[in-house]
Amino acid sequence: MNKTFIPARAIIREIIRENDQISTFRLELIDKTKPFSFLPGQFLMVSVPHCGEAAISISSSPDALPLIDLSIRRAGELTTAIHSMEKGARLGLRGPFGKAFPVEKFSGRDLLFVAGGIGLAPLKSVIDHCLFQSGLDDDAVSGIRLLYGSRSPSDIAFTGTIGLWREQGIDVRLTVDEKDEHWTDHVGLVTELLEDITLDSNSISLICGPPVMIRSVIAKLTEMGCDDTNIFTTLERHMKCGMGLCGHCHLDGRLVCLDGPVFSVSELNTMDVMELSR
Amino acid sequence: MIDLKELILPKDNLIPLLRKLSKDARLVAPVKNDHGDTLFTAISDLDTTEIDLANQPQASLKPFFLPQQETLAHYQISGDTYQFTAPKAAEDTIFFGVRSCDLTALLYMDLIFSKPAKDTSYYDRRSHSLIITLGCNQPFANCFCEATNSGPYLEYGYGLQFIDLGDRYYVSAGRGKGADLLKKWGYFFCEVQEEDQRIRYQLFLEARGQFNRNIQLAHACHKLQKEEVPEEIWEQLAERCYDCGGCAYVCPTCTCFSVDDKPQSRDSGIRVRSWDACTSGGFTRMAGGHNPVDRSRHALKRRFLHKLKYDFASHGKASCTGCGRCVDICFGGVDITRFIDLLTRQENP
Amino acid sequence: MVGLATSFGSGAMTNSIAELEEADVLLITGSNTTETHPQIGRNILRAVDRGAKLLVIDPRRTDIARQAHIHLALRPGTDIALINAMMRVILDENLADDLFISMRTENFIQLRDYLHRLDLAELAAITEIDINTIREAACIYARSSKSVICYCLGVTQHTCGTDNVQAVANLAMLTGNVEKKHSGVDPLRGQNNVQGACDMAALPAVLPGYQSLEDMSIRARFEAVWQRPLPENAGKSLTEMTHAGKDGPIRAMFIMGENPALSDPHLHRVEETLEQLDFLAVSDIFLTATAKLAHVVFPAASFAEKGGTITNSERRVQLCRRAIPPIHDCRPDSEIIMELGRRMGCPGMDFDSDAEIMEEISLLTPIYGGMHYDRLAENHGLQWPCPDRSHPGTEFLHKYYFARGKGQFTITRHQEPYEKAAEKYPFTLVTGRGSYHHYHTATMTRNSRRLVREYPQAKLEIHKDDCRRLNIADGEMVELHSKRGIVRISAQITDRVKPGTVFSSFHFFEVPINQLTVSAMDPKSKCPEFKVCSAAIKKVNHD
Repeated sequence: MNKTFIPARAIIREIIRENDQISTFRLELIDKTKPFSFLPGQFLMVSVPHCGEAAISISSSPDALPLIDLSIRRAGELTTAIHSMEKGARLGLRGPFGKAFPVEKFSGRDLLFVAGGIGLAPLKSVIDHCLFQSGLDDDAVSGIRLLYGSRSPSDIAFTGTIGLWREQGIDVRLTVDEKDEHWTDHVGLVTELLEDITLDSNSISLICGPPVMIRSVIAKLTEMGCDDTNIFTTLERHMKCGMGLCGHCHLDGRLVCLDGPVFSVSELNTMDVMELSR
Repeated sequence: MIDLKELILPKDNLIPLLRKLSKDARLVAPVKNDHGDTLFTAISDLDTTEIDLANQPQASLKPFFLPQQETLAHYQISGDTYQFTAPKAAEDTIFFGVRSCDLTALLYMDLIFSKPAKDTSYYDRRSHSLIITLGCNQPFANCFCEATNSGPYLEYGYGLQFIDLGDRYYVSAGRGKGADLLKKWGYFFCEVQEEDQRIRYQLFLEARGQFNRNIQLAHACHKLQKEEVPEEIWEQLAERCYDCGGCAYVCPTCTCFSVDDKPQSRDSGIRVRSWDACTSGGFTRMAGGHNPVDRSRHALKRRFLHKLKYDFASHGKASCTGCGRCVDICFGGVDITRFIDLLTRQENP
Repeated sequence: MVGLATSFGSGAMTNSIAELEEADVLLITGSNTTETHPQIGRNILRAVDRGAKLLVIDPRRTDIARQAHIHLALRPGTDIALINAMMRVILDENLADDLFISMRTENFIQLRDYLHRLDLAELAAITEIDINTIREAACIYARSSKSVICYCLGVTQHTCGTDNVQAVANLAMLTGNVEKKHSGVDPLRGQNNVQGACDMAALPAVLPGYQSLEDMSIRARFEAVWQRPLPENAGKSLTEMTHAGKDGPIRAMFIMGENPALSDPHLHRVEETLEQLDFLAVSDIFLTATAKLAHVVFPAASFAEKGGTITNSERRVQLCRRAIPPIHDCRPDSEIIMELGRRMGCPGMDFDSDAEIMEEISLLTPIYGGMHYDRLAENHGLQWPCPDRSHPGTEFLHKYYFARGKGQFTITRHQEPYEKAAEKYPFTLVTGRGSYHHYHTATMTRNSRRLVREYPQAKLEIHKDDCRRLNIADGEMVELHSKRGIVRISAQITDRVKPGTVFSSFHFFEVPINQLTVSAMDPKSKCPEFKVCSAAIKKVNHD
């Protein structure tokens, strides 16, 4: 693990356009002499020439190494600069940082993923990893379901990946806030999709999306009787170092870069967290 | 054979000793500049520079270990390279005339920059440093190190600790480099007499009784472990915080920083670390504009809870060292002592 | 300036800043002190913590208004009505200082008779403040003998700015709260050295030290030293120059460290004036909007690259030391002026040091008479008047007698602002400093990454009720219209302004708010009415 301020060099091997705002950048580290590994849910500090660094979660599975996917939404100066880059361009990478999803506990469990917008990126890493594991071992996961909300049909990202997942038997349900004339699927909040879902005490839920979505999904799952030790989410914060020094990602006495970004809801319940209050 | 842990240095020998020390290392001590400000300054000529031990240095040692602006890396961009290189290493430095509060702060910074990640540039500078403290016989106007348990004298952490006995210093050596120094330059010193020990103890007792302020810091720390701070207190403080960041910048234990790239040309630049302040709204604002902290109500919440609640919980000690600099600098009068007073008023523990 | 000079004989802050801390009542009007003058704000807050009463007159609920015991949130442009009402209360309650009035002032009877003819309820209605609140504030102010008034551009940037100041001066004299320590009338200067610029006669009608251009003996003295005849008539005010228009009488301009292409009112007119000049030279540390229009730009040295003095609000002349040599080809202002002077054949432009320039200032300016560099270096500067080398400087003004002899009461009558909110432009737009983070046209502060992070873009403060009514969300871009122009600006939902009033700053060149403001100005001070104009808000159609 690279715990210094000196980034390793990486090259963009491929760019996959996910929608108007989101693209997936498939990277490979140039210097192969240092070992690199990560777990789903961890993030990298990504350097862009003259723009500085930003924390971005890895959207591919560790099983896809040496390739590393970063799915990035155009939001500020740095991400806009990445979007203007082309195949073959260079980036700097530090990491991986942060606590991962406890994938080792997922064996034999029923998994429910709930995502909104770009929030699918870190969950995609888990889903792909679980699919890979189940290919090796039938008990790896007993069932995977995904509920995915987008603003409009044209905002749905990762459509290619979703198609592949469906082919592999994942139950994917989509919803949009505003439909267009071609949309025949569900319209409304992603929490509404939970109405048709049954959960047992064995189920594990993983959530990622905008704070207001995280809040309402947690509330709904708790109402449905889900144990808060079985609900996980991953939080987004402004970060400058990734390794517990700069202080920007403070969260009620903890640091999201070290103690997170993945938290169980039982952990979050003991803290003063914006995603849960207000 | 004399005990090398504790010795007496006649004041006449101070400059000769420092002169020897400055041959092998850079010497930094408090110096009053032309504008009347006392600051830790690198001294190149001991004959023309007067060390000022009468005033509190306006800035702590922080700038020497975590500089206000520091180049973390140089970067080069061209064609298919985008490469970072680390800057040059630190030089050996002896700090003289450091007050107990500022050394305590440095010991805290050692913790912060060692776990979970070791900050290489900090540690490079730290391992090249030796700290000689001067115990405080007379606290400065805003000091409250007695409340924070970080002075007026120290038990450990120093290379050497000097206590002013009038015409001589009572010198104690810490482990490692400090003891080595005494061994090497033993001929400047003489043995401690029983009288010296009596005077030292008396001065210590008197110093403890001379603080202007009675700050209920320990009580505040315990209270914070048990109960939530009333929301009105946060709002009352936030209303008078004008986002100047001064408290964080002068604070010897505030280590939050920002990292930004500064292009130097089309194809090169530097990555710079600079002090930041958790009291600023932009500190937590994310690229899309979303902010998990509401500055209008909680501008000072992170700052005070970090020092008095979280650090107390994890290290058993608050990370305020009672140096009083924030009291002096705050435009709104909402420094940490105001918070402690608000939190603990109406009660006498 | 003019207002206070007429009433007291001097236009400067009568107290020292440190005195504010010991005052018992602080009346702050038209100043968001904690944001714009944080050092002075700190003295005010210390006084409050000590137990002093804080009264704030401001149409907005600013940071300092939030700290006030009484916030008098008047309708913009009704300061005179409010002060007159307070004075009437003071007369009615028998709180006037009769002894002070008879010993130290003149013209009181006329004012008293005028005030007695006014109807309190009517005045309160004009200001839109509850009459009892006004009464309470007036009594608090008048009952203390340590009452201080601080005012800033919220008082002066009106078509009746001079009268506003005179009303404030009346109030202080009526209660004897002037001419002594811990009580007085304190204009807070908008910029670090605006006091020094005025002292050095960067004004149209006076010579350095406010000496009369018309006094033949004074003229003769300056002409002897400068070896040149002086102009016989007063010059023009800033707005008269920048608003001279297309075929105005001014053909060439030299602008130093000022950015009128962004800071002056009714910008279209300023642009028109500057663009048609035969010659424009600008000296600044950055290429400002004004510098971009110039034929010649002089790169000036920044504060850190030059020496000299700065005179602050409390008349304190402070020595500045050069920290680093000028970078590249930049030169200190003094060198730019001397070089220009030499090339234009002006004698005496050969000062070898800043200290030598100060020697000439001391020679020609009685209030700076004893301000030599060696003395300034020893103290934290000196406060004028300081007539000779042995003089310690002056802590507060008007001790023993007013500078003009006796303090003069002046009848001040309420007048409506130049532009009234109307059907087509229903909002009142107030402009001013937007935050602690940016200064003036932000030519300097926007070069700081941290300051930009904290305050990245212009904001229009709108009351939440207005937002709800107009269906405007927080952060939404809206169009702000006035008769003179349109800007696009991000809306900020707030309770700082009252419904019907909006506020914005002039920091951002992308949102040149002064395209909207009126050029109507005070007839005496020539200060434009930046504080009130009528505006309309329109939603921007997205997509």
